Order: sequence, then C-alpha cells, then structure tokens
Amino acid sequence: MNFTLLIQELVIGITTGAIYALIALGYTMVYGIIELINFAHGDIFMIGTFICITVFDQFGLTASSAPRGFSLIGLLLLTLLISMLICAVLGVVIERVAYRPLRNAPRLAPLISAIGVSLILEDVGKLWKGITIVSFPQVFPQITYYIGPVSFSSVDILVLVVAVILMVGLQWMVSYTRTGRAMRAVAQDREAAALMGVNVNRIIAITFFIGAALAGAAALIWGLKYGNTNFTLGFTLGLFAFTAAVLGGIGNLVGAMLGGVLIGVIEALAALIPDSSATGGFGLPHGGAAWHEAIIFVVLILILVFRPSGLLGQQTPEKV
Amino acid sequence: MPTASMLLPTRDSRALLIKWIVGLLVPVMVFTFVWSGEAIINNVLLGLINPGSTALQGPVLIEAAIFIVVFYATVIALTGYLVAADSGRRRTIDLWIDIVVFTLVPLFLVINFGLVVGAALCAIIWPAYFFVRRRVRQARHYTPPPPLKNLEVSDAEQRAILMSRATTAGFWFAFAFAVVWLIVDLIYFFVGQLPTVLLIWVVIRTILLPIAGYFLGRLGGAVALRRTLAAKSNGSKSDGNVATNGVGRRVSKKRQLESLSTTRAREEAKDLVPNDLPLRSTGAQRFYLILIVAFVLFYPVLDPFLFGSGTAGRLAGYGDAGYYVILALGLNIVVGFAGLLDLGYVAFFAIGSYAWGIIGSTQLTNVLGQAPVNPHILSALFWPMLIVGALIAAFWGVLLGAPTLRLRGDYLAIVTLGFGEIVPIVFLELDKYSNGPNGIVGVQSPSFPGVDWSVITPVPYYYLILALIAFTIFANVRLRDSRLGRAWIAIREDEIAAASSGVNLVNTKLFAFGAGAFFSGIAGAYHAAKLGGVSPDNFSFGDSVIFLAMVVIGGIGSIPGVIVGALAVYAINQLLLAQLDSLATDPSNPLYAVHNAIVHFIPGFTFDNIRNLIFGIILVVIMIFRPEGLIPSARRRREFHAIEEDHEIEVGALDVVPGAPGFETEVRVE
Repeated sequence: MNFTLLIQELVIGITTGAIYALIALGYTMVYGIIELINFAHGDIFMIGTFICITVFDQFGLTASSAPRGFSLIGLLLLTLLISMLICAVLGVVIERVAYRPLRNAPRLAPLISAIGVSLILEDVGKLWKGITIVSFPQVFPQITYYIGPVSFSSVDILVLVVAVILMVGLQWMVSYTRTGRAMRAVAQDREAAALMGVNVNRIIAITFFIGAALAGAAALIWGLKYGNTNFTLGFTLGLFAFTAAVLGGIGNLVGAMLGGVLIGVIEALAALIPDSSATGGFGLPHGGAAWHEAIIFVVLILILVFRPSGLLGQQTPEKV
Repeated sequence: MPTASMLLPTRDSRALLIKWIVGLLVPVMVFTFVWSGEAIINNVLLGLINPGSTALQGPVLIEAAIFIVVFYATVIALTGYLVAADSGRRRTIDLWIDIVVFTLVPLFLVINFGLVVGAALCAIIWPAYFFVRRRVRQARHYTPPPPLKNLEVSDAEQRAILMSRATTAGFWFAFAFAVVWLIVDLIYFFVGQLPTVLLIWVVIRTILLPIAGYFLGRLGGAVALRRTLAAKSNGSKSDGNVATNGVGRRVSKKRQLESLSTTRAREEAKDLVPNDLPLRSTGAQRFYLILIVAFVLFYPVLDPFLFGSGTAGRLAGYGDAGYYVILALGLNIVVGFAGLLDLGYVAFFAIGSYAWGIIGSTQLTNVLGQAPVNPHILSALFWPMLIVGALIAAFWGVLLGAPTLRLRGDYLAIVTLGFGEIVPIVFLELDKYSNGPNGIVGVQSPSFPGVDWSVITPVPYYYLILALIAFTIFANVRLRDSRLGRAWIAIREDEIAAASSGVNLVNTKLFAFGAGAFFSGIAGAYHAAKLGGVSPDNFSFGDSVIFLAMVVIGGIGSIPGVIVGALAVYAINQLLLAQLDSLATDPSNPLYAVHNAIVHFIPGFTFDNIRNLIFGIILVVIMIFRPEGLIPSARRRREFHAIEEDHEIEVGALDVVPGAPGFETEVRVE
C-alpha cells in the first residue's frame, strides 16, 4: 500500500467530510429537538448551490473575470450570506408549513411530510436549472501546495476554514448563549421547557433557521470545491450527511462533525480498493469506488452494532 | 320499558326507514341507471333468453349473473342491517352527506376518470372532507342527538322490534327500488329502447323484488342481532361478563377467552346493537366485504360494461398495482404491527425479484455454463420459486434484522436504510450473477396447464395477483390476531413493558423482519415474472419511501387502510400524474388553460417535469389533513381523536372502566 496515496486520500476525505459535517449538523439539530428525520434538509442544500450559482451570475463572476484579493473575499462573503439567509428562510418556511401542523401527530406523519417536501424541492430545482449537471464558475484561485509528496489546494484550506469557523460558532452559540440554552432545554424536555417560559415554537423555528443556514454555507464551499451541482445532489449528499449524523450519535453536534469527517475519509479510502478483475483476486468487482456507498453503510452498521447510539451518542439507560 | 304497543309503525321507525332507504337507494340507482348496472343486467338476461345473441356467453354470463344477484341482494340485506343497527345518533342530514361523499362522489369520479384514478382522487378528497367536517363541528359545538328511546337490546321484545324494523326496511327498500325501476323501464319501453322480450322480466322483477326484500331484510336483521351483546351496566366491574351475555345465552369457553383479548373486546364493543356509528360497525363491514369481493372477483367480466374498450390494458395496470398492495401489507407487519421503522424495505423486494429473475431466465445457465434444469419445465418452476424466493427474502430479513436488535428508534431506520442501499449496489456490481446495470431480461412467465400467460392476456396475472393478495391479507389478519401479533403490538407500544411481561424481544423482532420480507419476496417474484425481466433501477431508496408512504397514508397498522393506501399512492403516482400531460392537450379540459398559462412563463413546461412536485404537495396535504391515515386502525383512531368528534358518540355504555383490559390505551396521552 502506497503510504503517500493514503495520506492524499485522507486529505481529500477530510475536506469532503467537512462539507458532510456541515450538512449533518442540520440533521442532527433538527433531530435532537423534534426527533424528526428532516429529509428535506439535503434538498435545501441543493437549492443553496443553485442560489450560489445564480448570485455568481448576477455579480458577473466567472473564472476569468473574477477579481482577486479582498474584493473576491468580499464578494464570496456576500454570496455566503445570501445563500445562508435564503436557505435559512426556506428552512423556517418548511417547518412552519409542513412540520408544525404535525407537531402532535403520530411519529411517522411528519416523516412522510418531510419526504413530500423533499420531492417538492427536487422538482423546484429541476424546474430552475434543468436536469443536466450545472457547473460553478471557478472563481477561487486554485493554487496547489505541497507538503512533501502530499498535495492540497487553496480551496481545501478555504473549505476547512469556513467549516471550522461555522462549527466553532455553532458550538459556542449552543453552549453559551441564551438561545442555545433554550435549544438544549427544548431538546431535553419540550413541555418542561415551555413551563419554564421558553417559547418552544420560536426555538424550533430558530433551530431550523440555523440548520438550513449551515446547509446554505455548505452549498457555497461545495461549489467552490467541486465546481458542479445537480438537482439530485441534495438527495445523495443528504443521505451521507444523515448517515454521518447517526454515526456520530444523532443529536450530538460534535458527533455530527466527527461522523461527517469519518464518512468523507471512508469514501476516499474506498477508492483505494482495487478492481478484483484487474488484480485477479483481492478487491471488489469494478473497484472500490463503485462500492463506496455500500462500504459506508457497512461501516455504519458495524459501528452501530457495537455502539448502538453512535460514536459520541450517550448510552441513555432505558427508563420505564 | 318497551312494550308491544311500540311495535311498528312508530315515528322513530318511520324516520329511520326514510333515512336509510333514501340514503341507500340513491347510490344504487346511480349505479344502476347512470352507470352500467342496467346494461350488465340486460346483457345477462338477453344471454339467458336467447343464447348466442350477445357477447355474454358461457362462464362469463354466469359470472356476471352471480355478481348481479350478489350485489343487489347484499345491498338490500345491508339496508335491513343498518336500520336494525342504528341507534339514531347521527342526524339524517349528516348521514346523507356522508353517503354522498362516500358513495356518490367516488361513483362520479370513477365514471369520469376510471377506477384507479377515481379512487386516488377520493384519497385526496376524503381527508379534506374529514378535516373540514371536524372543523365545522368544532366551530358549531356539535353535539350528537340523543339515542332513540328505549334502545337496549336486552330482551326478546326489543329484539323483535329491531327484527321487524329490519324486515320492513328490506321490504320497502326493495319495493321502492322496484317501483323506480319499473317507471324507468316503462319510459324506455315507450321510447322504444327496451326489447319487448324483457317486459316479462320487468313484471317478474317487480313482483319478486319486494318478496326478496322481505327475506333479505330479515337476513340483515338477523346479522345485526347475532352480533348483539348485552348492554353493560355502567360503572360496575362487569367487564368479565362481556362474555356471559345478559340475554342468558350460553357462551362457549372459546368465546370467553376471545373476549378477554383487548382488541377483541374493543372490536365487539363497537358492535353493540343498536350502534352509534352503523356505517362503520363491523357488521356493516361484512357486507362491504361481500360487495368488494364480488366486484373484484368478477371484475374482468364487468370491466367492458363499466369502462368500455381497453380492458386488457386496465387489467394489466391493476396487476401492477397488486404487488404494491402486497409490499405495503408486508411492510405494515414491520412498521405497523411491530413499530420498527424500516427505510430499506426495497432490499427484500429486490432479493425476491432477482431470485426468480436468475432462476427463471438463462442467467443461471450462463453462470453455471450448463442448464441446471430442462428449459421446458423452467416456467413451471415459478410456483415453487414463489415460496422459495419468499423464504430467501425472509432469511435475509432475519439476517439483516439481527444487527438491529439493540438499536432503537431512528438508529434502526438508518441501518435498514443502509441495507436498502447496499443490496441494490451488490446486485448492480456483481454482474457475473445479476448481469449488472443491464438487468436480467427474458424472465419466464409462470405456466399453468390450460392457461395462456402471454403478455396480451392479462387476466391470468390479474387472478394470480388476486390470489396472492388474498393469501397475504389472510396471513396478515391471522398473524395480527395470533400470539405473535399481540407480541408485536406489545413491543410497538412499549418495549420494556412487553419484555417484562415475558415477550421475547429477539424472536419477536426477528419474526417481524422475516414475515415482512417474506411477503416482499412473493411480490418480487411476481414482479419479475410479470415484467419479464429485472432491472436494478427499480430498487432505489425512493421506492422504499413510496412503500412507507403507502403504509402511513393508508393508516399504519390497519390492514384495510394499508390496502387503500397502496392503491391510492400507486394511482396518484403512476396513473394520475402520468396522465396530466395528455389531459392538458385536450382543449375542453380545465388543465389545458392552466398548462397554457404556465407555458407562457416557463417555456417548454410539461407536467411530467413537476410530477414529484405535485406528488410531494399531495403527500404533505394528506398528512396535514389526516395524519393518522385514511383508515386508521381502531386502536390508533382512539388514541388520536380521543377527545374529538366521533368519540363523544362512540358507544357510551361500553366506555372502559378502570381496570378493564382496554383501559390503559384509552387514557393514554401522547
């Protein structure tokens, strides 16, 4: 096994995983607070990528005409804010229309509603940008750096910087602000929180706001890193992100980040498994990349078998 | 106390008779005269009078005749039953509105849009109707009228009153129907559209119908009375006496034991005669069941009369809808009975499909290098493979269920989702066995001596899927009422309580996964045979989600609900939305204008592009209007609307007293 290649794949995995983690945060926050698998979350992310493309178009940003230096940073920040804001509003609207009326309904009713919203958003994306793959203008300069033989680009750094800032910010908000405390209280016991004077509906709406805003941010850095998007992207990435949230222990923010990075790394490492027809024995038919989804889920299942509440999830004793 | 002077006719009885006879006569007349009922009858008669003159001959003629007799006899008996079973706590006008919404609206939709699309539209309209009705009642502080006086079926006299009511109802219903029919036929006769031969039939019928009505009304009354329980004395701890009937009938040991089961007690409680919700009582459900079975069984014969040409295409469509019903029923075991959220159910469907796909095509020959069985008997292998495929799927169900045993709630969901993703990838990438992305083609259809299974004759497939569905429903009902089924429901309600009551969690959960997978294996084998091939594209996460939507929309845990849900979702998704574009090309259709308006803003717009959008909106709307599903199970309905609407008028005398078997579910607060 080539050790350099391994490190190289790790770098790829960590950057992809950071994006997964940002999306996973939205899943895990919503699940933590209302125990709903918000299937629409991945599609909010997809809508976010389309918003970013549209904003770039409006600014006339292309790979060649993009400014450099601080004006580029400013424009990117502005795009980030617009994307986050629109996604966040979208998230809140979805919560208001599709989930809030079902707050006291049987557990599976909001799940079906979420699936419905996910289908709606997918078709909105399809109507908006068509069924083909849409490419992002490569506005951020691609500079490749080397540490020894391992390469990484300036975009990788940007992805990690944005992701880490947002995650740290979220962690700080949840831990130290009044709203964060209210969120934790609602997650722990909705009725008790309401009795203590927490406006539960408002806190849930804020949770959706923040979760969707993170998806909007993930959308921009996804576009800068991978340069293309499609109306089905939300589904694929949403699945991975949700898996990441479960892997880390659903409802646990640090767990979601860890899970995201882990999934990114597994996905990258899976590509190293050789094609069995080529090696004539070891490996999988068509190579590991074709199997990466299966491998991710196998790892997930194995982890859950031994730690049924995810990596960092608390093993809550069952109460009667 | 009821006295002999209360025997007919009293004011109450007259009101009851008018209420039900008018209520039922209108839909029957619409079916007979507006739709194709009379056409079927006339064709049967002409076929009987001079064989060879019409299209109806031989077995087809007999089938149509049986359907006609069963249909009208059941409706007349139903009238008798309903009159005997009604306690008068629904206002006449409310009842008529209900009947319009539940019979006339579907009839008109079905006549105009075809069976499945009509049913799908009903699935959208009904939840909206329930929602509006609930809101209106809340706003108007609706209180149901008091029950009819002296209605306690406790002594012989009261039973005699109910019986005579039922008899009169049957008689007058049939009489009114005969008179209306006579008038209609006379008009036809004078216009010259009625063959003179049929005049004899008109005379015979007009005499025969009231007589038959008298006896069928008696039958309905007898059904109502047989389901009678003694009214329970309020508040006393007499729940053990549910079995020992107050009338003094001897009650068998078996029946006593049955009554001890909570579900049974609940079910029977609903059937107290007189009933506050006669249309929903289990006695009435028996009649509906007869109607539905007769309709479905003889459908291939009736279809040309009901919908005109194109029978073969429609039947093929229903054959496809059928395996969704089996899949939904199978998933209902896992999700509905045992409460284990399964997001990867499609995996077992894929396993079942590939099981017959690989055996029933040349694929196995390619893998092994030689044919394992004589190719001529290959298609006959379908029958054993139906079971073997199901068992293979069940085996994988148990195997994949094993790692999830320690998991709770949504961790379970994600693991099953994982399996749902892994299995299709395995089939996609192991192309040596599964032919990879191209899928398997040339899968044999079943063979059965004397039956032509070619693609142009969908009738065998129709009856095959009907038999499979019947088997699945039977197995589901038996499983639900078995010890195992009660254990499933117990772990759904409370795992810890169930475990401490001696339910073996491991076995029970594994059985749930196995049983659920078993039925999807059957559906898979049928799917592969009907399609003549297996494609890996048919097994995505989206399909798992659709199956789950069928179960939840229908009413989780409720067998009739899940069947309706499966048909409704299939119809909406596959038929209704697929037709929108062709509907929009017709200038007389309102969609035409809508389409033009949208094309004005979005060039190149087609409804096909927003299929999922509309489907998604429908899902959300149905869930908001009716979160407990179209036909919720009795248990869930109680939980969900415990404080609202129908419950204030659900048989008051049987409200469960503290300590009785059903008490806890009744007071449970979610």
